[in-house]
Amino acid sequence: MRRVAVIGVGVTKFGRHERTSAELFAEAAADALADADIPASRVQALYYGNVVGGETEKQLHTGPQAASVLGIPTVPTTRFETACASSHAAFRHAVMEVGSGASDIVLVGGGERVLNVPTADSTEYFAYASDASWEQTLGLTFPGVFALVARAHMHKHGTTEEQMAAVAVKNHKHGVLNPKAQFRKEITLETVLTSPKVADPLKLYDCCPFTDGGAAVVLASEDVARRARRPIWVLASAAASDWMLIGDKRDLSRVPATERAAATAYRQAGIGPADIDVVELHDCFTIAEIVATEGLGLFEPGVGGPAAEKGWTSLGGKIPVNPSGGLKAKGHPIGATGAAQICEVVTQLRGDAGPRQVEGARRGLTHTLGGNTATVLVSLFGRD
Amino acid sequence: MTESTVTLGRFFEQVRDGALTAIRCEACGALAVPPKELCPECGARRWEPVPLSGEGTIASYTIIRVAPRGHADDAPYAIAAVRLREGVSLLGRVVDVPFDALAIGLPVRFRPIVIKDHPAIGFGPA
Repeated sequence: MRRVAVIGVGVTKFGRHERTSAELFAEAAADALADADIPASRVQALYYGNVVGGETEKQLHTGPQAASVLGIPTVPTTRFETACASSHAAFRHAVMEVGSGASDIVLVGGGERVLNVPTADSTEYFAYASDASWEQTLGLTFPGVFALVARAHMHKHGTTEEQMAAVAVKNHKHGVLNPKAQFRKEITLETVLTSPKVADPLKLYDCCPFTDGGAAVVLASEDVARRARRPIWVLASAAASDWMLIGDKRDLSRVPATERAAATAYRQAGIGPADIDVVELHDCFTIAEIVATEGLGLFEPGVGGPAAEKGWTSLGGKIPVNPSGGLKAKGHPIGATGAAQICEVVTQLRGDAGPRQVEGARRGLTHTLGGNTATVLVSLFGRD
Repeated sequence: MTESTVTLGRFFEQVRDGALTAIRCEACGALAVPPKELCPECGARRWEPVPLSGEGTIASYTIIRVAPRGHADDAPYAIAAVRLREGVSLLGRVVDVPFDALAIGLPVRFRPIVIKDHPAIGFGPA
Protein backbone atom coordinates (compact mmCIF):
# COMPACT_ATOMS: atom_id res chain seq x y z
CA MET A 1 0.00 0.00 0.00
CA ARG A 2 1.17 3.53 -0.83
CA ARG A 3 1.21 6.12 1.94
CA VAL A 4 -1.96 8.22 2.05
CA ALA A 5 -2.48 11.66 3.58
CA VAL A 6 -5.33 13.98 4.43
CA ILE A 7 -4.59 17.27 2.68
CA GLY A 8 -7.84 19.15 3.22
CA VAL A 9 -10.70 19.28 5.75
CA GLY A 10 -14.07 21.01 5.94
CA VAL A 11 -16.98 20.95 8.41
CA THR A 12 -20.25 22.90 8.48
CA LYS A 13 -21.62 24.45 11.60
CA PHE A 14 -23.46 21.65 13.44
CA GLY A 15 -27.03 22.16 14.59
CA ARG A 16 -30.31 22.93 12.85
CA HIS A 17 -30.19 23.79 9.16
CA GLU A 18 -32.78 24.62 6.50
CA ARG A 19 -30.68 22.89 3.82
CA THR A 20 -30.63 19.30 2.55
CA SER A 21 -27.94 16.84 3.62
CA ALA A 22 -26.44 17.06 0.11
CA GLU A 23 -26.17 20.85 0.43
CA LEU A 24 -24.54 20.52 3.85
CA PHE A 25 -22.02 17.99 2.56
CA ALA A 26 -21.31 20.15 -0.50
CA GLU A 27 -20.47 23.19 1.65
CA ALA A 28 -18.04 21.11 3.73
CA ALA A 29 -16.53 19.49 0.63
CA ALA A 30 -15.95 22.83 -1.12
CA ASP A 31 -14.24 24.07 2.06
CA ALA A 32 -12.09 20.92 2.18
CA LEU A 33 -11.03 21.34 -1.48
CA ALA A 34 -10.18 25.01 -0.85
CA ASP A 35 -8.20 23.99 2.24
CA ALA A 36 -6.30 21.42 0.14
CA ASP A 37 -5.85 23.96 -2.68
CA ILE A 38 -7.07 21.28 -5.11
CA PRO A 39 -9.49 22.10 -7.96
CA ALA A 40 -12.64 19.97 -7.97
CA SER A 41 -11.72 18.75 -11.46
CA ARG A 42 -8.86 16.69 -9.97
CA VAL A 43 -11.14 14.64 -7.67
CA GLN A 44 -11.28 11.06 -8.96
CA ALA A 45 -13.90 9.55 -6.64
CA LEU A 46 -16.35 10.41 -3.86
CA TYR A 47 -17.00 8.09 -0.91
CA TYR A 48 -20.10 9.35 0.85
CA GLY A 49 -21.80 8.60 4.17
CA ASN A 50 -25.52 9.15 4.72
CA VAL A 51 -27.81 7.09 6.95
CA VAL A 52 -31.46 8.10 7.27
CA GLY A 53 -31.86 10.10 4.04
CA GLY A 54 -34.39 7.51 2.88
CA GLU A 55 -36.57 8.37 5.87
CA THR A 56 -36.05 12.06 6.69
CA GLU A 57 -35.61 13.33 3.14
CA LYS A 58 -37.22 10.49 1.15
CA GLN A 59 -33.92 10.33 -0.68
CA LEU A 60 -31.91 7.32 -1.79
CA HIS A 61 -29.01 7.32 -4.26
CA THR A 62 -27.44 10.04 -2.15
CA GLY A 63 -23.91 9.53 -3.51
CA PRO A 64 -24.57 10.91 -7.00
CA GLN A 65 -26.91 13.50 -5.53
CA ALA A 66 -24.15 14.79 -3.23
CA ALA A 67 -21.66 14.80 -6.12
CA SER A 68 -24.10 16.68 -8.36
CA VAL A 69 -24.86 19.32 -5.73
CA LEU A 70 -21.14 19.76 -5.09
CA GLY A 71 -20.59 20.20 -8.85
CA ILE A 72 -18.61 17.06 -9.71
CA PRO A 73 -21.41 14.98 -11.27
CA THR A 74 -19.22 12.63 -13.31
CA VAL A 75 -16.91 11.20 -10.63
CA PRO A 76 -17.59 7.62 -9.50
CA THR A 77 -19.40 7.78 -6.17
CA THR A 78 -20.84 5.34 -3.66
CA ARG A 79 -22.91 5.91 -0.56
CA PHE A 80 -21.80 3.97 2.53
CA GLU A 81 -24.14 2.97 5.32
CA THR A 82 -22.83 1.45 8.54
CA ALA A 83 -25.22 3.38 10.80
CA CYS A 84 -23.37 6.07 12.79
CA ALA A 85 -19.96 4.92 11.47
CA SER A 86 -20.89 5.48 7.79
CA SER A 87 -18.43 8.18 6.74
CA HIS A 88 -15.61 6.53 8.71
CA ALA A 89 -16.30 3.31 6.77
CA ALA A 90 -16.29 5.42 3.59
CA PHE A 91 -12.93 6.86 4.68
CA ARG A 92 -11.36 3.42 5.18
CA HIS A 93 -12.40 2.32 1.69
CA ALA A 94 -11.16 5.58 0.18
CA VAL A 95 -7.80 5.08 1.91
CA MET A 96 -7.61 1.69 0.20
CA GLU A 97 -8.47 3.23 -3.21
CA VAL A 98 -5.66 5.75 -2.89
CA GLY A 99 -3.31 3.33 -1.13
CA SER A 100 -3.76 0.75 -3.90
CA GLY A 101 -2.76 3.22 -6.59
CA ALA A 102 -6.20 3.23 -8.25
CA SER A 103 -6.63 6.98 -7.59
CA ASP A 104 -4.46 9.86 -6.43
CA ILE A 105 -7.09 12.26 -5.07
CA VAL A 106 -10.34 11.12 -3.46
CA LEU A 107 -13.00 13.04 -1.58
CA VAL A 108 -14.64 11.47 1.49
CA GLY A 109 -17.42 12.84 3.62
CA GLY A 110 -20.98 12.69 4.77
CA GLY A 111 -24.14 14.67 5.25
CA GLU A 112 -27.20 14.16 7.40
CA ARG A 113 -30.44 15.97 8.10
CA VAL A 114 -32.78 14.86 10.88
CA LEU A 115 -34.03 17.98 12.67
CA ASN A 116 -36.66 18.45 9.96
CA VAL A 117 -38.71 15.62 11.53
CA PRO A 118 -40.14 15.28 15.08
CA THR A 119 -37.98 13.55 17.75
CA ALA A 120 -40.32 10.54 17.99
CA ASP A 121 -39.79 9.95 14.26
CA SER A 122 -36.01 10.38 14.34
CA THR A 123 -35.87 8.04 17.38
CA GLU A 124 -37.75 5.46 15.32
CA TYR A 125 -35.57 5.94 12.20
CA PHE A 126 -32.35 5.59 14.23
CA ALA A 127 -33.77 2.39 15.75
CA TYR A 128 -33.89 0.92 12.22
CA ALA A 129 -30.16 0.27 12.76
CA SER A 130 -31.12 -2.34 15.36
CA ASP A 131 -32.59 -5.70 14.30
CA ALA A 132 -36.13 -5.39 12.91
CA SER A 133 -37.40 -8.76 14.17
CA TRP A 134 -35.68 -9.10 17.52
CA GLU A 135 -35.14 -5.55 18.76
CA GLN A 136 -37.32 -2.99 16.99
CA THR A 137 -40.41 -5.09 17.73
CA LEU A 138 -39.66 -4.73 21.46
CA GLY A 139 -39.36 -0.95 21.22
CA LEU A 140 -35.62 -0.93 21.87
CA THR A 141 -34.04 2.50 21.27
CA PHE A 142 -30.40 3.52 20.98
CA PRO A 143 -30.40 5.09 24.43
CA GLY A 144 -31.84 1.70 25.49
CA VAL A 145 -28.93 -0.20 23.93
CA PHE A 146 -26.38 1.92 25.76
CA ALA A 147 -28.42 1.78 28.95
CA LEU A 148 -27.93 -2.01 28.84
CA VAL A 149 -24.19 -1.40 28.42
CA ALA A 150 -24.20 1.15 31.26
CA ARG A 151 -26.04 -1.13 33.68
CA ALA A 152 -23.62 -3.99 32.96
CA HIS A 153 -20.59 -1.68 33.34
CA MET A 154 -21.91 -0.31 36.65
CA HIS A 155 -22.51 -3.85 37.90
CA LYS A 156 -19.10 -5.15 36.89
CA HIS A 157 -16.87 -2.16 37.65
CA GLY A 158 -18.82 0.02 40.08
CA THR A 159 -19.06 2.81 37.49
CA THR A 160 -21.34 5.57 38.80
CA GLU A 161 -23.91 7.91 37.26
CA GLU A 162 -21.69 10.79 38.49
CA GLN A 163 -18.74 9.43 36.48
CA MET A 164 -20.92 9.23 33.36
CA ALA A 165 -22.14 12.76 34.03
CA ALA A 166 -18.50 13.90 34.23
CA VAL A 167 -18.09 12.90 30.57
CA ALA A 168 -20.98 15.17 29.56
CA VAL A 169 -19.65 18.08 31.65
CA LYS A 170 -16.18 17.71 30.12
CA ASN A 171 -17.42 17.49 26.51
CA HIS A 172 -19.69 20.51 26.94
CA LYS A 173 -16.71 22.41 28.37
CA HIS A 174 -14.71 21.51 25.27
CA GLY A 175 -17.65 22.40 23.00
CA VAL A 176 -17.57 25.99 24.26
CA LEU A 177 -14.17 26.27 22.54
CA ASN A 178 -15.42 24.97 19.16
CA PRO A 179 -17.21 27.54 16.97
CA LYS A 180 -18.74 24.72 14.86
CA ALA A 181 -20.30 22.95 17.90
CA GLN A 182 -24.07 22.62 18.28
CA PHE A 183 -23.92 23.36 22.02
CA ARG A 184 -21.50 25.99 23.30
CA LYS A 185 -22.61 26.15 26.89
CA GLU A 186 -21.05 24.70 30.02
CA ILE A 187 -23.20 22.42 32.15
CA THR A 188 -22.78 21.07 35.70
CA LEU A 189 -22.96 17.56 37.13
CA GLU A 190 -26.28 18.66 38.63
CA THR A 191 -27.63 19.53 35.16
CA VAL A 192 -26.91 15.99 33.97
CA LEU A 193 -28.02 14.15 37.09
CA THR A 194 -31.36 15.96 37.37
CA SER A 195 -32.24 15.85 33.65
CA PRO A 196 -35.22 13.69 32.61
CA LYS A 197 -34.62 9.95 32.31
CA VAL A 198 -34.56 8.65 28.76
CA ALA A 199 -33.64 4.98 29.32
CA ASP A 200 -32.56 4.26 32.91
CA PRO A 201 -29.84 4.84 33.97
CA LEU A 202 -29.29 7.25 31.06
CA LYS A 203 -30.72 10.72 31.30
CA LEU A 204 -31.23 13.39 28.67
CA TYR A 205 -27.77 14.93 29.22
CA ASP A 206 -26.09 11.50 28.93
CA CYS A 207 -27.26 11.46 25.30
CA CYS A 208 -25.87 13.26 22.27
CA PRO A 209 -28.35 15.39 20.33
CA PHE A 210 -29.95 14.98 16.91
CA THR A 211 -27.98 17.16 14.50
CA ASP A 212 -27.90 18.39 10.92
CA GLY A 213 -24.46 18.82 9.38
CA GLY A 214 -21.82 17.89 6.85
CA ALA A 215 -18.10 17.10 6.87
CA ALA A 216 -15.49 16.24 4.25
CA VAL A 217 -11.81 15.40 3.86
CA VAL A 218 -9.54 15.29 0.81
CA LEU A 219 -7.29 12.23 0.61
CA ALA A 220 -4.16 12.18 -1.53
CA SER A 221 -1.35 9.85 -2.47
CA GLU A 222 2.13 10.56 -1.13
CA ASP A 223 3.30 12.21 -4.40
CA VAL A 224 0.41 14.68 -4.33
CA ALA A 225 0.58 15.14 -0.56
CA ARG A 226 4.28 16.07 -0.64
CA ARG A 227 3.30 19.20 -2.60
CA ALA A 228 0.43 20.02 -0.22
CA ARG A 229 0.55 22.64 2.48
CA ARG A 230 0.49 20.44 5.58
CA PRO A 231 -0.28 16.78 4.93
CA ILE A 232 -1.39 14.65 7.85
CA TRP A 233 -0.54 11.02 7.24
CA VAL A 234 -3.01 8.17 7.64
CA LEU A 235 -1.05 5.69 9.77
CA ALA A 236 -3.86 3.10 9.88
CA SER A 237 -7.54 2.62 9.17
CA ALA A 238 -9.21 -0.51 10.53
CA ALA A 239 -12.72 -1.90 10.79
CA ALA A 240 -14.26 -4.59 12.96
CA SER A 241 -17.75 -6.02 13.26
CA ASP A 242 -19.62 -8.00 15.88
CA TRP A 243 -22.94 -9.76 16.40
CA MET A 244 -25.89 -7.71 15.18
CA LEU A 245 -28.05 -8.42 18.23
CA ILE A 246 -27.06 -6.65 21.43
CA GLY A 247 -28.42 -9.69 23.31
CA ASP A 248 -25.79 -11.91 21.66
CA LYS A 249 -22.92 -10.05 23.34
CA ARG A 250 -21.31 -12.25 25.98
CA ASP A 251 -20.22 -9.32 28.15
CA LEU A 252 -22.34 -6.21 27.78
CA SER A 253 -19.80 -4.08 29.66
CA ARG A 254 -17.42 -4.31 26.69
CA VAL A 255 -17.45 -3.45 22.99
CA PRO A 256 -15.33 -6.21 21.43
CA ALA A 257 -15.43 -4.59 17.98
CA THR A 258 -13.65 -1.52 19.42
CA GLU A 259 -10.98 -3.77 20.93
CA ARG A 260 -10.47 -5.64 17.65
CA ALA A 261 -10.43 -2.55 15.42
CA ALA A 262 -7.97 -0.84 17.77
CA ALA A 263 -5.67 -3.87 17.86
CA THR A 264 -5.63 -3.98 14.04
CA ALA A 265 -4.99 -0.24 13.73
CA TYR A 266 -2.17 -0.22 16.28
CA ARG A 267 -0.56 -3.18 14.49
CA GLN A 268 -0.85 -1.47 11.07
CA ALA A 269 0.78 1.69 12.42
CA GLY A 270 3.33 -0.03 14.64
CA ILE A 271 2.37 2.12 17.62
CA GLY A 272 0.32 1.66 20.79
CA PRO A 273 -2.15 3.59 22.90
CA ALA A 274 0.68 5.27 24.87
CA ASP A 275 1.83 6.95 21.63
CA ILE A 276 -1.49 8.77 21.08
CA ASP A 277 -1.71 12.49 21.97
CA VAL A 278 -5.31 13.30 21.03
CA VAL A 279 -8.48 11.23 20.58
CA GLU A 280 -11.85 11.87 18.95
CA LEU A 281 -14.10 8.98 19.91
CA HIS A 282 -17.75 8.00 19.63
CA ASP A 283 -19.48 9.45 22.71
CA CYS A 284 -23.03 8.97 21.45
CA PHE A 285 -23.81 8.39 25.14
CA THR A 286 -21.59 9.18 28.13
CA ILE A 287 -21.13 5.47 28.91
CA ALA A 288 -19.99 4.92 25.30
CA GLU A 289 -17.02 7.25 25.90
CA ILE A 290 -16.07 5.42 29.10
CA VAL A 291 -16.23 2.00 27.43
CA ALA A 292 -14.36 3.29 24.34
CA THR A 293 -11.46 4.69 26.40
CA GLU A 294 -11.09 1.21 27.87
CA GLY A 295 -11.52 -0.66 24.57
CA LEU A 296 -8.94 1.55 22.84
CA GLY A 297 -6.44 0.65 25.56
CA LEU A 298 -6.18 4.20 26.94
CA PHE A 299 -7.24 2.84 30.36
CA GLU A 300 -7.66 -0.58 31.92
CA PRO A 301 -11.22 -2.00 32.06
CA GLY A 302 -13.06 -0.27 34.89
CA VAL A 303 -10.80 2.79 34.92
CA GLY A 304 -12.71 4.74 32.23
CA GLY A 305 -15.23 6.09 34.75
CA PRO A 306 -12.69 7.27 37.38
CA ALA A 307 -10.52 8.68 34.54
CA ALA A 308 -13.39 10.92 33.38
CA GLU A 309 -14.10 12.02 36.95
CA LYS A 310 -10.45 12.89 37.63
CA GLY A 311 -10.09 14.96 34.47
CA TRP A 312 -7.58 12.66 32.79
CA THR A 313 -9.53 12.96 29.51
CA SER A 314 -9.98 16.75 29.66
CA LEU A 315 -7.92 19.26 27.68
CA GLY A 316 -4.72 19.51 29.71
CA GLY A 317 -5.24 16.00 31.14
CA LYS A 318 -3.23 12.79 30.56
CA ILE A 319 -4.93 12.02 27.23
CA PRO A 320 -7.41 14.62 25.95
CA VAL A 321 -10.54 12.96 24.55
CA ASN A 322 -13.00 14.79 22.29
CA PRO A 323 -11.46 18.28 22.35
CA SER A 324 -14.07 19.18 19.68
CA GLY A 325 -16.83 18.68 22.25
CA GLY A 326 -17.50 15.19 20.89
CA LEU A 327 -20.85 13.96 19.65
CA LYS A 328 -22.26 15.17 22.96
CA ALA A 329 -21.64 18.91 22.46
CA LYS A 330 -20.33 19.29 18.91
CA GLY A 331 -23.33 17.26 17.71
CA HIS A 332 -23.94 14.02 15.82
CA PRO A 333 -25.10 14.30 12.19
CA ILE A 334 -24.78 10.54 11.90
CA GLY A 335 -23.66 10.20 8.28
CA ALA A 336 -21.08 12.97 8.70
CA THR A 337 -19.74 12.12 12.16
CA GLY A 338 -16.81 9.89 11.20
CA ALA A 339 -15.50 12.47 8.72
CA ALA A 340 -16.01 15.29 11.24
CA GLN A 341 -13.93 13.42 13.82
CA ILE A 342 -11.14 13.05 11.26
CA CYS A 343 -11.37 16.79 10.47
CA GLU A 344 -10.85 17.58 14.17
CA VAL A 345 -7.85 15.29 14.60
CA VAL A 346 -6.24 16.67 11.41
CA THR A 347 -6.84 20.22 12.69
CA GLN A 348 -5.26 19.26 16.02
CA LEU A 349 -2.20 17.66 14.39
CA ARG A 350 -1.72 20.75 12.21
CA GLY A 351 -1.74 22.87 15.38
CA ASP A 352 -4.72 24.87 14.10
CA ALA A 353 -7.24 24.13 16.88
CA GLY A 354 -6.91 27.50 18.62
CA PRO A 355 -8.18 27.58 22.22
CA ARG A 356 -8.93 23.83 22.17
CA GLN A 357 -5.46 22.89 20.85
CA VAL A 358 -3.78 19.86 22.47
CA GLU A 359 -0.27 21.24 22.82
CA GLY A 360 2.36 19.46 20.75
CA ALA A 361 -0.02 16.77 19.44
CA ARG A 362 1.85 14.53 16.97
CA ARG A 363 -0.38 11.46 16.74
CA GLY A 364 -4.15 11.20 16.87
CA LEU A 365 -6.87 8.55 16.87
CA THR A 366 -10.47 8.57 15.66
CA HIS A 367 -13.03 5.95 16.72
CA THR A 368 -16.54 5.64 15.33
CA LEU A 369 -19.18 3.14 16.34
CA GLY A 370 -22.21 2.02 14.37
CA GLY A 371 -25.50 0.49 15.50
CA ASN A 372 -25.73 -1.86 18.45
CA THR A 373 -21.91 -1.81 18.70
CA ALA A 374 -21.83 -4.11 15.64
CA THR A 375 -19.57 -1.81 13.58
CA VAL A 376 -16.44 0.00 14.74
CA LEU A 377 -13.83 1.94 12.75
CA VAL A 378 -10.52 3.12 14.20
CA SER A 379 -8.03 5.27 12.28
CA LEU A 380 -4.66 6.65 13.31
CA PHE A 381 -3.03 9.83 12.06
CA GLY A 382 0.41 11.42 12.34
CA ARG A 383 2.23 14.56 11.26
CA ASP A 384 5.73 14.66 9.79
CA MET B 1 -31.38 -23.83 3.74
CA THR B 2 -31.66 -27.28 5.19
CA GLU B 3 -35.10 -28.59 6.08
CA SER B 4 -34.38 -28.65 9.81
CA THR B 5 -33.31 -25.00 9.96
CA VAL B 6 -35.62 -22.90 12.09
CA THR B 7 -36.60 -19.82 10.10
CA LEU B 8 -37.33 -16.49 11.73
CA GLY B 9 -40.99 -16.89 10.80
CA ARG B 10 -41.21 -20.35 12.36
CA PHE B 11 -39.41 -19.17 15.53
CA PHE B 12 -41.98 -16.44 16.16
CA GLU B 13 -44.92 -18.74 15.27
CA GLN B 14 -43.66 -20.98 18.05
CA VAL B 15 -43.27 -17.98 20.37
CA ARG B 16 -46.96 -17.29 19.73
CA ASP B 17 -47.65 -20.85 20.88
CA GLY B 18 -45.57 -20.36 24.03
CA ALA B 19 -42.39 -22.15 22.96
CA LEU B 20 -38.79 -21.00 22.51
CA THR B 21 -36.77 -23.01 20.00
CA ALA B 22 -33.01 -22.70 19.57
CA ILE B 23 -30.88 -24.59 17.08
CA ARG B 24 -27.97 -26.92 17.82
CA CYS B 25 -25.11 -27.57 15.41
CA GLU B 26 -25.10 -31.28 14.55
CA ALA B 27 -21.35 -31.16 13.96
CA CYS B 28 -19.97 -29.39 17.05
CA GLY B 29 -22.97 -29.11 19.37
CA ALA B 30 -22.93 -25.29 19.55
CA LEU B 31 -26.26 -23.78 20.53
CA ALA B 32 -27.49 -20.71 18.65
CA VAL B 33 -30.49 -18.45 18.28
CA PRO B 34 -32.08 -18.84 14.82
CA PRO B 35 -31.85 -18.06 12.02
CA LYS B 36 -28.28 -19.14 11.14
CA GLU B 37 -27.18 -20.72 7.90
CA LEU B 38 -23.65 -21.67 9.03
CA CYS B 39 -22.43 -22.52 12.52
CA PRO B 40 -20.38 -19.54 13.81
CA GLU B 41 -18.23 -21.99 15.80
CA CYS B 42 -17.32 -24.62 13.19
CA GLY B 43 -18.84 -23.55 9.87
CA ALA B 44 -21.03 -26.62 9.48
CA ARG B 45 -24.47 -26.33 7.86
CA ARG B 46 -26.47 -28.96 9.78
CA TRP B 47 -28.77 -27.76 12.53
CA GLU B 48 -31.39 -29.43 14.69
CA PRO B 49 -34.13 -27.59 16.58
CA VAL B 50 -33.78 -27.69 20.39
CA PRO B 51 -36.51 -26.56 22.80
CA LEU B 52 -35.37 -24.04 25.42
CA SER B 53 -36.59 -24.06 29.03
CA GLY B 54 -37.31 -20.33 29.01
CA GLU B 55 -35.63 -20.02 32.42
CA GLY B 56 -32.85 -17.50 32.85
CA THR B 57 -31.44 -14.54 34.70
CA ILE B 58 -31.24 -10.86 33.79
CA ALA B 59 -27.82 -9.94 32.33
CA SER B 60 -28.73 -6.26 31.99
CA TYR B 61 -31.88 -4.15 31.82
CA THR B 62 -33.27 -0.70 31.13
CA ILE B 63 -36.54 1.15 31.37
CA ILE B 64 -37.41 2.87 28.10
CA ARG B 65 -39.09 6.19 28.88
CA VAL B 66 -38.64 7.94 25.52
CA ALA B 67 -40.00 5.44 22.99
CA PRO B 68 -40.02 5.30 19.19
CA ARG B 69 -43.23 6.64 17.67
CA GLY B 70 -44.73 3.16 17.23
CA HIS B 71 -44.27 2.25 20.92
CA ALA B 72 -45.03 5.58 22.60
CA ASP B 73 -48.33 4.33 24.06
CA ASP B 74 -46.53 1.56 25.96
CA ALA B 75 -43.86 3.76 27.63
CA PRO B 76 -42.41 3.39 30.16
CA TYR B 77 -41.52 -0.27 29.65
CA ALA B 78 -38.64 -2.51 30.76
CA ILE B 79 -36.34 -4.38 28.37
CA ALA B 80 -33.81 -6.92 29.58
CA ALA B 81 -31.07 -9.07 28.09
CA VAL B 82 -31.67 -12.49 29.62
CA ARG B 83 -29.06 -15.25 29.79
CA LEU B 84 -31.04 -18.49 29.48
CA ARG B 85 -30.11 -21.60 31.45
CA GLU B 86 -28.90 -23.29 28.25
CA GLY B 87 -26.35 -20.52 27.62
CA VAL B 88 -27.90 -18.42 24.85
CA SER B 89 -29.23 -14.92 25.49
CA LEU B 90 -32.42 -13.24 24.34
CA LEU B 91 -33.73 -9.71 24.60
CA GLY B 92 -37.30 -9.30 25.85
CA ARG B 93 -39.84 -7.03 27.50
CA VAL B 94 -40.05 -7.62 31.25
CA VAL B 95 -43.65 -7.81 32.43
CA ASP B 96 -45.23 -8.12 35.89
CA VAL B 97 -41.98 -7.19 37.66
CA PRO B 98 -41.98 -3.77 39.39
CA PHE B 99 -39.31 -1.47 37.92
CA ASP B 100 -37.59 -1.09 41.31
CA ALA B 101 -37.31 -4.89 41.64
CA LEU B 102 -35.30 -5.19 38.40
CA ALA B 103 -31.72 -6.30 39.04
CA ILE B 104 -28.86 -8.02 37.26
CA GLY B 105 -29.02 -11.69 38.24
CA LEU B 106 -32.78 -11.67 38.86
CA PRO B 107 -34.33 -15.02 37.79
CA VAL B 108 -37.06 -14.65 35.14
CA ARG B 109 -39.09 -16.95 32.91
CA PHE B 110 -40.13 -16.62 29.26
CA ARG B 111 -43.67 -15.51 28.62
CA PRO B 112 -45.08 -15.01 25.13
CA ILE B 113 -46.45 -11.51 24.57
CA VAL B 114 -47.96 -9.63 21.67
CA ILE B 115 -46.71 -6.17 20.70
CA LYS B 116 -48.60 -4.37 17.96
CA ASP B 117 -50.12 -7.66 16.72
CA HIS B 118 -46.71 -9.36 16.50
CA PRO B 119 -45.64 -12.24 18.77
CA ALA B 120 -42.70 -11.06 20.88
CA ILE B 121 -40.49 -12.30 23.67
CA GLY B 122 -41.49 -11.39 27.20
CA PHE B 123 -40.09 -12.37 30.56
CA GLY B 124 -42.07 -12.53 33.78
CA PRO B 125 -41.26 -13.54 37.35
CA ALA B 126 -39.54 -16.96 37.61
